[in-house]
Amino acid sequence: MKVLKVPARTIAVFVLPCLLLYVCLVFIPILVSVYTGLLKWDGLSAATFIGLGNFKDMFVNDPVFWPSVKRTLLYAVASMVEIPLCLLMAILLNRYLRRGNTLVSIYFTPVILSVVIIGQLWKTVYNPTSMGGMLNGVLVSLGLESWTHNWLTEPQIAMYALYFVSLWQYFGYHLLIQYTGVQNIPDELYEAAKIDGADGFKADRYITLPLIVPIFKISIVLAFIGSLQAFDLVMVMTAGGPAHATDVISTHMYNSSFGSFKYGYGSAIATFLVVVCLVFTGVINMIFNRIDRKFN
Amino acid sequence: MQTFKKGIVYLLFAIPVVTQLYPLLWLLLYSLKTNEEIMDGSFFSFPKSFQWHNYSEAYTSGNYLKYLGNSVFVTGITMVCVIVLSSMVAYAISRFRWKYGGVVMTIFLMGMMIPMQATLLPLMIIFKNIHVLNTHWSLILPYIAFSTPIAVFILSGFMRDIPHEIEESAFIDGASVYRIFTSIILPVSIPPVMTVCILTFINIWNEYILAATFISSEKLKTLPFGVYTFVSQYSVNYGNIGAFLVMGALPVILIYFFLSNRITKGMVAGAVKG
Repeated sequence: MKVLKVPARTIAVFVLPCLLLYVCLVFIPILVSVYTGLLKWDGLSAATFIGLGNFKDMFVNDPVFWPSVKRTLLYAVASMVEIPLCLLMAILLNRYLRRGNTLVSIYFTPVILSVVIIGQLWKTVYNPTSMGGMLNGVLVSLGLESWTHNWLTEPQIAMYALYFVSLWQYFGYHLLIQYTGVQNIPDELYEAAKIDGADGFKADRYITLPLIVPIFKISIVLAFIGSLQAFDLVMVMTAGGPAHATDVISTHMYNSSFGSFKYGYGSAIATFLVVVCLVFTGVINMIFNRIDRKFN
Repeated sequence: MQTFKKGIVYLLFAIPVVTQLYPLLWLLLYSLKTNEEIMDGSFFSFPKSFQWHNYSEAYTSGNYLKYLGNSVFVTGITMVCVIVLSSMVAYAISRFRWKYGGVVMTIFLMGMMIPMQATLLPLMIIFKNIHVLNTHWSLILPYIAFSTPIAVFILSGFMRDIPHEIEESAFIDGASVYRIFTSIILPVSIPPVMTVCILTFINIWNEYILAATFISSEKLKTLPFGVYTFVSQYSVNYGNIGAFLVMGALPVILIYFFLSNRITKGMVAGAVKG
């Protein structure tokens, strides 16, 4: 119920400062980016308009582009895989501990740290044995010397090493979200189910799961969007290397723009990234709306 | 059987404690070792003697306090601006009777899906042209812009449910809209404002890429970027690097230690409402 009828000037005073700042710093740059995506431009000399030439290059001629898209999508899938596990943990925590919050806060600790700290920390963990890397140290002391790797410099495994760090850092985040969702389900429902003979996992099937769908969706969306935008960690740990083996869409964009000064081309990739983010958010929302309807 | 099951479950709870905390503890031990002990690669050995001088060396050879001060400044200004600006918009969207409220809300919501990295290059070009590149404003302005959508969303969701009788009676008593906003709406909205503060703080304090792209002066670097510079410059003395990383993590860890309940609640609220 909106009661206040105020003059337009007052509305402007309240809305415009924020709206202008926001439009100027988010929407206008995106539009600028869409436009520069149509140029051949190195940032210094005059730009030439080449229409969709950059996009054609991107989709057809660039050997790095599609692999980086694939890695981005794999990143998203990898991050979503841990969410069901988090839900299971959350259900168990809620059932076996009266005060699970402390434990969840401990799991959450890596989430609040800067990606620079996390990245450097894991770089030292992944270091070769000769530099005292922890992971290799563990493997050697378990007698699994053949399993040791140069985790971040071998092209076949470097990307998986990065996925793992992301999973590690955000485990606590998803667990916290799921745990809060599970806690918010009223106890009476479980008590009623118990009387009806549904207990333990049976109760989870008919009570917890349907009620947790919205929360589950939030986790999935966050994980998915988060990985489409996955950037900082890769930049800090490998910057896309070795030989583009860990390039994702956004690092490829960054390296094209700021590394090889292809401003036009970089902007085209940025445009692609924005479109992908918008489309996928829409699709995920649609899927979950359908699941929601089916359950309720 | 029951105790056996319980044992398994507790073991399941214990594993993440180790995996989530041990790397952090390992870093702490790392920072107190000599280079030889680090190269040794043993993964849970205590240093023979604590090399506290790693910290004093890291402190004197890096600009820790400078970085810290810059981060406090940038994050502080951003937080204040986000709160003021977004609560004003949220108030207008949720309480005023006007035609375009829905449109404005949609504009802000759309922004939540736009990846910040996509604006890096255009922002750099724009900032270069208006000569704010390599100043703190080149960070603060985009930080504010990218923090407002979620803030507007959280705040307007809360303000919508404030009973309008309060406003009405204040209005009849002759209070202006501005007065109602500052002395009724804002004080009532402290809980969501806290949530917004926490979200903004965690995001902005830790932000690295924008800082690394827009800032080049040593004296303007924020803590994450500063830590990164230190690590890439002093790559020989591992103990010093470890010490600087620990010092870089310390402010946030300390805050988390004292406010972990609030922070986790705020982060969940941010996630769930977003």
